[in-house]
Amino acid sequence: MQFLSSRIAPRTALVTAVAAVTASFMTLGSASQAIADDSDKVLYVYNWTEYMPDEVIERFEEKTGIDVIYSTFDSNEAMYAKLKLLDSNNSYDLIFPSTYYIDKMAREGLLQKLDISKLGNFKDLDPNLVDREFDKGNQYSVPYMWGSAGIGYNPDYVETGELSSWNDLWNDKYRDKLLLSNDMREVFHVALASLGFSGNTTNPDEIKAAYEKLTQLMPNVRAFNSDAARVPFMQGEVDAGLIWNGEVYQANEEGVPVDYVYPKEGIILWMDTMAIPSNARHVEAAYQFMNYLISPEVSKEISEYVGYTTPSLAAKKLMAPEVRDNPVVFPTQADLERGEFQTDVGDALPIYQKYWEKLKTGR
Amino acid sequence: MSLVRNPFKTATLTIIWGWLILLVLAPTLLVVLVSLMPESTGQLNFSDLSPAVLWQGFLSNYGQLISPVYIGVFGHSLWIGLITTVICLVLGYPFAWMISRASPRLQPLLLLLVIIPFWTNSLIRIYALRTLIATRGLLNDVLMSLGLIDAPLRLLYTEEAVIVGLVYMLLPFMILPLYAVFEQLSRATLEAARDLGANGAASFRHIVLPLTMPGIIAGVLLVFLPAMGMFYVSDLLGGSRHPLIGNIIKGQFLEANNWSFGSAISVMLTMIMAFLLLAYYRSVKLFKREATL
Repeated sequence: MQFLSSRIAPRTALVTAVAAVTASFMTLGSASQAIADDSDKVLYVYNWTEYMPDEVIERFEEKTGIDVIYSTFDSNEAMYAKLKLLDSNNSYDLIFPSTYYIDKMAREGLLQKLDISKLGNFKDLDPNLVDREFDKGNQYSVPYMWGSAGIGYNPDYVETGELSSWNDLWNDKYRDKLLLSNDMREVFHVALASLGFSGNTTNPDEIKAAYEKLTQLMPNVRAFNSDAARVPFMQGEVDAGLIWNGEVYQANEEGVPVDYVYPKEGIILWMDTMAIPSNARHVEAAYQFMNYLISPEVSKEISEYVGYTTPSLAAKKLMAPEVRDNPVVFPTQADLERGEFQTDVGDALPIYQKYWEKLKTGR
Repeated sequence: MSLVRNPFKTATLTIIWGWLILLVLAPTLLVVLVSLMPESTGQLNFSDLSPAVLWQGFLSNYGQLISPVYIGVFGHSLWIGLITTVICLVLGYPFAWMISRASPRLQPLLLLLVIIPFWTNSLIRIYALRTLIATRGLLNDVLMSLGLIDAPLRLLYTEEAVIVGLVYMLLPFMILPLYAVFEQLSRATLEAARDLGANGAASFRHIVLPLTMPGIIAGVLLVFLPAMGMFYVSDLLGGSRHPLIGNIIKGQFLEANNWSFGSAISVMLTMIMAFLLLAYYRSVKLFKREATL
C-alpha cells in the first residue's frame, strides 16, 4: 500500500479530492472550447434523439466537405435551457424546436430571422404547413417533420362514424374505455376544441370551462397514457381515445386494428421545425444543411426512417402509393386547414397546470 | 494503526466525504435555495437573492402548498406509501428471518435471488409487469384457459396495480436491512429465553422484535419515501389517474416549468420524513426511560 503517501491527513486528502474534481470540470470546459473553432467547414447541429439517419448526415458531409457535429436532446425544455447557457463561443448553428417553442424563443430574441430565398427547396413545402399561427411568414422556422393527434378507435368495438367529433368522446357508452395522453396541453386542447375555443387560449375563463368539461369526461377515462399510445389498444385496455397519427400507422403495420378519425372541430397539429440561433457561427452552412434536409429525396428518407410525415409535397410524390394515399399519414386539405398547431401560452401555463392537477386529483 | 496513517482509510473517507458534499449536500442546498426563489416560468434569476426576495418566494411557494389539491395528494401518497410499507414489512420480515436461518451455503444464493432483479432496469421490469397483467396479458390468458374467469379482469390502470408495482420494486430494500439484523441476532439469547420459560410469542416480543427494530426502521425508511415519489409506477401501472406526490413534482418541473414550487414540494416531503424520524427517536427515548424506571 505504498502508492499513496501514508502521511497524508484526511483534510489534505479532502482538499485534494475537491481540487481534482474542480480541475476535471475546468478541463472539460477548455476541451469544449478547443473544439469550437471558427472554420467555415463545420456545422453544430442540435436535434432530437433518433430523428435523423446517420447516412443522411454522412452524404451531406461528403457532398459539401462540411463537418457536421451532431448533438441531441430529448425535450424542448432541455434544449431551451441548454441554449440559454451557451454564448457565441460554443453556440449551435441549427436547432429543431417544436412549434410552441418557436414563438417563445423568437420573442426572447434567441433566434435569427431567416432569409427564405436561400432555401431553393422551400417552394416544395405544403402551403398548409408554412405561414402558420406559431410563425407568420416563416420568419424564424422551416418545417422538418410533422403529425397530428386525433381520435383513434378499435373497429371491433366502435362502429364507423360513431366518433366524428371530440364531443362524441363524452358519450356514456365509453365509460372506462377511453385513453387520453398524459400531456396537459393536448388534453386541454381536446376540451377547448369541443367547446369551440382555441387550443392555445390564454383566457382563464375558457381554460376553466375546459377544466369543467373535462371533469365530466373523467368517468370515461381509463388512463392517461405516458408512452406509445398504440400499446393500450394492442393490450385491449381501451376502445378509443386520443392518439398520434404515427402511432396509428405503426399499430396498423403491426396488424393491430386501430382506425383514425379527424374530428370535425379540427385535429391537434404538431411540428418540429429548423431554426438558427441568434448567436450561431456557421450560418451559411446551416442554410445549406436546411435546404438539403427539405430536398425531396432526403426528406422522404428521413420520413420513412423516423415514421413521421414529411412537409415536402415533392417528397410525398416520391413515396409508395399506399403511404401517399393513406389518410392516416397525409390528411386531406380540409382536415389540415381545420387543424390547429400548439403555440406558447406564456403566463397562462401555471393556470393550465393548476387545473390539470385538480383534474387528476379530482379535487 | 491510527486512522490518519492508513492510506486506504484516508482515501476511502475522502471519496465518501467528497461524494456526500458534491452529490448530496450541494444539490440539497440548491433545491432548498430554489424553493425560496420567486416563481418564474422562464429562467431562474440568481442575480437578486436578498432576504426580502427569498422571504417573498418562501411565502408564495410554501403558501401554495396549503390548498385542498396538494393536501389531498399528500394524504393519498402517505396512504399508498403506508400500504406499500406494511405489505413489504409483512412479506419481508419472515423472508429475511428464513434467509438468516437457512444453511450458510444456501444463504448467498438466496440473497442473490433477492438482488438479481436489480440487474434489470426498473422501467423494464414495470413494462414487463404491464404485459403480465394487461387485459390481453399472460395472467388473464392463463386464468381464462383454466376456466377460473369468464371475462378478462381489469387489473392494469388500477390503484391495486400501483401498489403491486411499488411492492415489487421496493421489497428488496426491506429484506436486505432486515437480513442484516437477523444475521447478527445470536441464537444464544433465544435459547436463554426458552430456558427461562419464555414461549415463542414472548421471546419474539421481548427479544426478537426489539433487537431487529433497527432493521425494521431502516427498511421502513427505505421503502416509505421512495413509494411516495416513484412517479413512473403511478404513470405506467395506474394510468396516472391518481397522482402521487412524485407526479406533482415532476409536473411542476417538466410541464409547468415552475422549478421553485417543484422544489418547495420536494423540500416539504423531506421535512415530513425528517419529522417522522424525529418522532420515532423521541418515542424510543421515552419508551426506554419508562422501561428503566
